[in-house]
Amino acid sequence: MIRIENLSVAFDKTEVVKNVNLDLVDGEVLGVVGESGSGKSVTALTLMGLVSESAQITSGRILFDDVVLQEAGKPRDQVLYRRYQGAQMSMIFQEPMTSLNPTQRVGHQVEEMLWLHAEHRPQGPWKQASDALRLSGRRTGQKEEFRTRVLEAFHAVGLRDEERVYTSYPHQLSGGMRQRVMIAMALILHPRLLVADEPTTALDVTVQNQIIALLRKINSKQNNAMLFITHDLNLARRLCGRIAVMKDGRVVELGETEEIFRHPRQEYTKRLIEAVPSRMKKKTWSADAVLGKAASAEAALNNSAPVVRVHDLSVFYQDGSNSLFGQKKKQCVVADASFEIYPGESLGLVGESGCGKTSLSKAILGMNRSIRGEIVSNTTRPQMVFQDPYSSLNPAKTIGWLLQEPLRAAGALDRSKVMTKADMEAAAYDMLHRVGMEDKYFHRKPSQLSGGQRQRVSIGQALITHPGLVVADEPVSALDVTIQAQIMELMRRLQQEMKLAYLFISHDINVVYQMCDRIMVMKEGRIIEVGETERLFRAPKEEYTRELLSSS
Amino acid sequence: MKYIGKKLITLIMTLFLVSVAAFLAFQIIPGDVVTSILGTEATPEREEQLRQELGLDKPPVVRYFAWAADVLRGDLGVSYRYSKNMNEMMPVTELIGDKLPVTLWLAAVSMLLIIGVSIPLGVLWARSSNHFLDGLLGVITQASMAVPSFFLGILVTYLFGILLKLFAPGGYISYQENFSGFLGYLFFPAISIALPKIAMTARFLRNSMLTELRADYVRTAYSKGATKRRVMYKHVLRNAMMPVVTFLGMIIAEIVAGSIVIEQVFSLPGIGRLLISSISTRDFPVVEILILYITFVVIFVYFLVDILYRVIDPRISEA
Amino acid sequence: MRMEEKHSPEKDIEWKKGTSWKKGTLWKRRISWNKYLAAGVIMTGIALTIGILGLFWTPYSTTAMSAAEKFAPPSIRHLFGTDNFGRDIFSRVMQGMGTTIGISTLVVLFSGTAGILLGAITGYFGGLLDEAVMRVTDAVNGFPSILLALVIISILGNGKHNVIISLGIVFIPSFVRIVRSEFIRLRDADYIRRARLMGVGRLRILFVHILPNIFSVFWVSVMIGFNNAILAESGMSYLGIGVQPPDASLGKMLSDAQGYLQSAPWYALAPGLAIVWIVLGFSLFSEGVRRYGE
Repeated sequence: MIRIENLSVAFDKTEVVKNVNLDLVDGEVLGVVGESGSGKSVTALTLMGLVSESAQITSGRILFDDVVLQEAGKPRDQVLYRRYQGAQMSMIFQEPMTSLNPTQRVGHQVEEMLWLHAEHRPQGPWKQASDALRLSGRRTGQKEEFRTRVLEAFHAVGLRDEERVYTSYPHQLSGGMRQRVMIAMALILHPRLLVADEPTTALDVTVQNQIIALLRKINSKQNNAMLFITHDLNLARRLCGRIAVMKDGRVVELGETEEIFRHPRQEYTKRLIEAVPSRMKKKTWSADAVLGKAASAEAALNNSAPVVRVHDLSVFYQDGSNSLFGQKKKQCVVADASFEIYPGESLGLVGESGCGKTSLSKAILGMNRSIRGEIVSNTTRPQMVFQDPYSSLNPAKTIGWLLQEPLRAAGALDRSKVMTKADMEAAAYDMLHRVGMEDKYFHRKPSQLSGGQRQRVSIGQALITHPGLVVADEPVSALDVTIQAQIMELMRRLQQEMKLAYLFISHDINVVYQMCDRIMVMKEGRIIEVGETERLFRAPKEEYTRELLSSS
Repeated sequence: MKYIGKKLITLIMTLFLVSVAAFLAFQIIPGDVVTSILGTEATPEREEQLRQELGLDKPPVVRYFAWAADVLRGDLGVSYRYSKNMNEMMPVTELIGDKLPVTLWLAAVSMLLIIGVSIPLGVLWARSSNHFLDGLLGVITQASMAVPSFFLGILVTYLFGILLKLFAPGGYISYQENFSGFLGYLFFPAISIALPKIAMTARFLRNSMLTELRADYVRTAYSKGATKRRVMYKHVLRNAMMPVVTFLGMIIAEIVAGSIVIEQVFSLPGIGRLLISSISTRDFPVVEILILYITFVVIFVYFLVDILYRVIDPRISEA
Repeated sequence: MRMEEKHSPEKDIEWKKGTSWKKGTLWKRRISWNKYLAAGVIMTGIALTIGILGLFWTPYSTTAMSAAEKFAPPSIRHLFGTDNFGRDIFSRVMQGMGTTIGISTLVVLFSGTAGILLGAITGYFGGLLDEAVMRVTDAVNGFPSILLALVIISILGNGKHNVIISLGIVFIPSFVRIVRSEFIRLRDADYIRRARLMGVGRLRILFVHILPNIFSVFWVSVMIGFNNAILAESGMSYLGIGVQPPDASLGKMLSDAQGYLQSAPWYALAPGLAIVWIVLGFSLFSEGVRRYGE
């Protein structure tokens, strides 16, 4: 049905998509997998005719049932495209929040799809206005009909309480609901092709599962073709019949999903599959690391004193509005948490967004004072590694300065820790090497570093004062899979070298599985289960844990 | 509703604070009012009598509350400078009465000009892919923001009044005599106030629209098969207008400020001119009332804009 | 949420560069900041040279009157002609520019410094002080700035120094506002949280960790503030409340000239264009700097 032949797309003379060939038949699901910058999104947008006008098709063409939609060297025929967009092919996007118009009721936004492709749509605003005056009766009838169709579409994508959803604004709906609205909108005209660009990436795991299930159901019912774009190999595996792997604008491998997973032909594909943290395959840590690991895990169990002991801890959230009139409301976000973290171990903390993970970690770090209960810490100032490498380093300073700042601060707090300038510089260089970076980065600023490098510096900055505990809040979630694997490896190695304990927060179950000795599951502010990683995966006690762990 | 109530309380509190500040500020001024009214050669008895007449013999706090109570009752006090005749002092109410409409009309005409011209211009600008128009509008905006309003007023006077003879400079026509002639004369000072604001607003709207055009929902609209025109007017314009409404609200304060100066340039007998002359003649009762009045107008407009904003932006009305 | 997708280069390319939906925008932009900066630097340079020179030396005395040369039109002898007292307008414009620029610089220096201190403390610590300061700045910000300056000066009395004080006070809130909102934005940035975790002292966080990061924003507001100060100062002297004779001031010259618009239009044009020149030059300069920063 769809044929993309030898397609190349360029921005400002640089090609971001190079000689791509793809085809799709009715009813099949094709996954396009690649890291950021691989050209997968540009391919999809070009197919949909949505790529901005600064993009140029430098070779190839796109066909829909033998109709040429776009061709190299010819301007895009907008009139032709508009007949296909929405009616024959439609798209859902990654960010359901920003992809909907914030000031229009979602019902009307879905309805617009129907108006745009209605049989006798009046042309131009004047015609529209005069029609509205003369034929309001007939149009009201049509309006009623459209409204009913929208409500049906909402029902079909599993939105309950359709009437309320119809009159809601996007911000009044949850992320999952918004994505369902997007899907309802995309499918209301029963298009033959659905392009889904990372449709679940911005959602919580359990919601992610529901959306994937929904897409699969629709696919089997309506028999539409689907182009599923993702960076997540596991996800592609669950949904797609065939997979195309993209790298640097090229399709490097294309084939049946299982075939690719079992016998990847390209080195890159192999790396990609290996880098994906997955329970399906063995851990890839080196032998001594595993040995050391086992030893330290044992040590932990041998009743050595915990780094941190938390007893009956409740954390409260104070309403931020400190206006003269608003009363302050205290809300309990973590209730009665008790647990210990032992030296040298990695304790995983999992749960959906809003479950209290971050509040709990802040309390342990002493960043939140409105708590009740007990936190006993046997270590100097625990440090933290944040998710977003772009915001966790001060952009005005050099890497060297950043690495020395914790030492300066420690010196200012405690006279006995004052170091000479030369010592601090030496320590900073040493840490730079430890996190696997070269000397030349010492005088650079964060903006000159890649995401992975910044995360390395972040880790270095957290470790330079030798804290016993590091809280890592989604430290690899913002990184590409191959970089993810490197950073996890680095964290493991440093844990061995420096006898560190990690409190490792993540929504990615596979990452947690790879990194952690024990896992703690949180739901709605309560710790509902704690256990050793293997045990928890094999025999979870709680239904919720099972649901959460089975999600990837 | 609760929000409106809160805002109203803030509004009243601000007014109260401004009135206290305005009143007290003029108490600390060096120089005796009585001496300045009667001159240095008056007898002590006459001075004492006037002091009592004006209530100046009581402590400031008492005088403030007496003054505030009078103002609330509608008695705005008497001017130190102007008098009706030899024996009667001029009430501020009468002094302001016939000057107020001049200023209000000036502000209204300016605002109408700003809204009426800047919004179509901004949309046109955002839509144009014409480099020449783009550049031209850019230069005009940049330049008009650099011209101070009084100089612009003088240029307008010179161009339309002296060269083109479209109006007689200084030949103000009273609104009581000839309303359409009054509006015709008002048009030129209004242009002087509006021109830079039109440029600023148009540019603001254009930037806002260009930002909105980059939003994800625009891509969604295109993916439904909507035309560029439809995307512009149905989706982008409304979202882009939100910050512009706030911007227009803030401009009110500047229009008021602008009218103070422009009234001087075009010799309009409005409250701006009265304020300037009262300041230079140290006629404090008049100054106090005018400050209070202008503050009231400005914060009341802000209040209205705030409410309006809540009506048009569904995201805020919830919170 | 995966941040990676937010920073994804492919999306950046399409939706950011595609802003104006035109080809080659990036290239044009590079040229345009150059043009802005060049024009701005030249115009501001000339204005500064003439203004500073005008404070110490002028071709003719700014006060010397000459009945014989009343209303002489522009010529080689008198570049901008002479005024109703036969004084050389060019000399007076020179001095007026110097006065105006000097006053505005001091105003911005004063209110900018106060703005940084107040904004940093209120923004970072919040609390009751913040509440109080914000109430005041909100009230003042809504108020037409020239009006407030007039009120203050009517209390203090006329004169150069009082103009500086009153405008300085009037401009503080706008700086406080900007600095405060930047400090609020950054106080919860990940790297500032980390600095707190390291145990960095409060003052050090304020002025070593945060301050360098707000300079670009602050710089823009300084430049806007400077222009507003020029406009406000000349407006005040136009109204006759501000710099007093015998000091030449551009605003006062304009108001004097207005009466002779028909017979000697150059008298009004010269000081008016001088103001436009300073403000335009400076805003071109700041626009150039801003674009360069991007």
